[in-house]
Amino acid sequence: MNAPPKLPSVGMLIYFAICALALVWPGALLANRIEPLVMGLPFFIFWYVAWVFALFVGLVIAYRRESMEEADDD
Amino acid sequence: MTDSLLITGITLGYLLVVLAVGLRARRGQGSSLEGYVAGGRHMGLLVLFFILGAEIFSAFAFLGAPGWAYSKGAPALYIIAYLALAVIVWWLIAPYISRLGRRHGFLTQAEFLTACYPTRGNLLGLFIGIVSVLAMIPYLTIQIAGAGMLFEAATSGTIPFWLGSLLACGVVAAYVYASGLQGIGWTNLLQGVMMVIVAWFLGLATADQFFGGVGEMFREIQREAPEYLTMPGASGMGWGAFSTAILVSALGCVMWPHIFMKFYSARSERTLKRVFVLYPLYSYLLIPLLIIGFAGVVLLKDRPLDSPDQVLLTLVVEMADFPAWLIGLALSGALAAAMSTAANLAHTSATILIRDVGQHLPSLRGMDDGKALRLTRYGVVVVSLAAYLLALVNPGSLVALLLGAYGIVVQLLPMLLGALFWRRASRIGAFAGLASGAVLTLYFQFSGSTPFDWHAGFCGLVVNALVFVGVSLSVSPVTQHTPAEALGPQP
Repeated sequence: MNAPPKLPSVGMLIYFAICALALVWPGALLANRIEPLVMGLPFFIFWYVAWVFALFVGLVIAYRRESMEEADDD
Repeated sequence: MTDSLLITGITLGYLLVVLAVGLRARRGQGSSLEGYVAGGRHMGLLVLFFILGAEIFSAFAFLGAPGWAYSKGAPALYIIAYLALAVIVWWLIAPYISRLGRRHGFLTQAEFLTACYPTRGNLLGLFIGIVSVLAMIPYLTIQIAGAGMLFEAATSGTIPFWLGSLLACGVVAAYVYASGLQGIGWTNLLQGVMMVIVAWFLGLATADQFFGGVGEMFREIQREAPEYLTMPGASGMGWGAFSTAILVSALGCVMWPHIFMKFYSARSERTLKRVFVLYPLYSYLLIPLLIIGFAGVVLLKDRPLDSPDQVLLTLVVEMADFPAWLIGLALSGALAAAMSTAANLAHTSATILIRDVGQHLPSLRGMDDGKALRLTRYGVVVVSLAAYLLALVNPGSLVALLLGAYGIVVQLLPMLLGALFWRRASRIGAFAGLASGAVLTLYFQFSGSTPFDWHAGFCGLVVNALVFVGVSLSVSPVTQHTPAEALGPQP
């Protein structure tokens, strides 16, 4: 029998959903402007760079939490 | 002339290094099909990270992506967005797929789906196999043609298209033939590093040389052509088209067989998760390439290019004042993107041809491991040769074939998710969903207009999922297990 893996916690799923909504309609509507330039990039482009980083941070946290839970299980 | 010789020399040197690394990877490798196709299910973090990177960043990264920024502007960000979201989908399902593959000996995508939804005579496997190969060979052809085009442009014709694409194709076929996934892994690592360095250097150097910096460049675009910097961009891509393109690409990404099959190759589920944690950062590779495309908006204002895909080559080779050795390295980096993707495509297509399609031939039924391995290797050569010939002929229907076949492959996603997570997923529902989704996608793809301007594949996925859920709910009782949970031990 193949037990399915544990899904990420509800908090993580919400975080993933926020990241997803930020990158498409309607979230990206908030950022649809040129000013201010951040790190030389127009704001709309910077928005995407920033959310990719936010996703990276979220995945690091998810990974660490899962590692700790597995350590507890052992 | 000496310039183009120097460029040619550097690039050929690079190809030799790739070939040497690829052939060396053969050492210490057993001679099993599992070893050849899935690296013995023992691929580590670093190599797997670069394999998945190479699979996503193809010739498109250096040609198409800057072309989007140049011709459309902000909508080009869809590429970065979909890559980030694709990682979420991978995170949720890939470790499970990896576990099932290890337990049941799956090597292809079709094997997994047909185990969950068995059909008489394994017709589903045959169907998936054929459609996948029909999607992948045009994709491979585009990589090989891209390599030829890069060679010809950067060496000012010293290496003509036919020779450039033959060189790239030959090197790839040689090391994939010899070393399988190990060869792909180590060369993808080398090529990935090359790509990242070249992309960042070219992006920053281009902005610096023409404008004095990235910020200054965007200021100038803001003055001259501000419509490129926000949605809907210069060509008026609406939010609906933009958002659904992101979603369908992110969801569909996992269904590309060459990506899906790499989940089987991971050493462990933790390794896979580590790859995914780091993966979003790989999408930053696109930023400098988009910057080059944006630079073209201002620099080529007076003489627009017929083909936007030429924007990077035009700026870097013709307009910028870069020394020849640098152009040689730039060409090598762009070739790396095309070749590293091509290697994965040739390897995966050959595996699918033998495992999923070939086993339907009476003479190949029940072949042993050694014979399957031999045939898969021949398959790599045959597939590469076919793609090279197609690149020379360049039939106009190639892109249509790619879009059509890949459009169908994406429609396998609802049944895959159902198999993994849904207890009431039924075979009949899955097939009804697949059929309606595929027909609808093809219809929208080739009729050219969709409701709300949504992506054709997205419309197909919505209908597919609704039919799948509706039919399954009406026919099948609640069971204890999802189709994947219910899989028996390996026969």
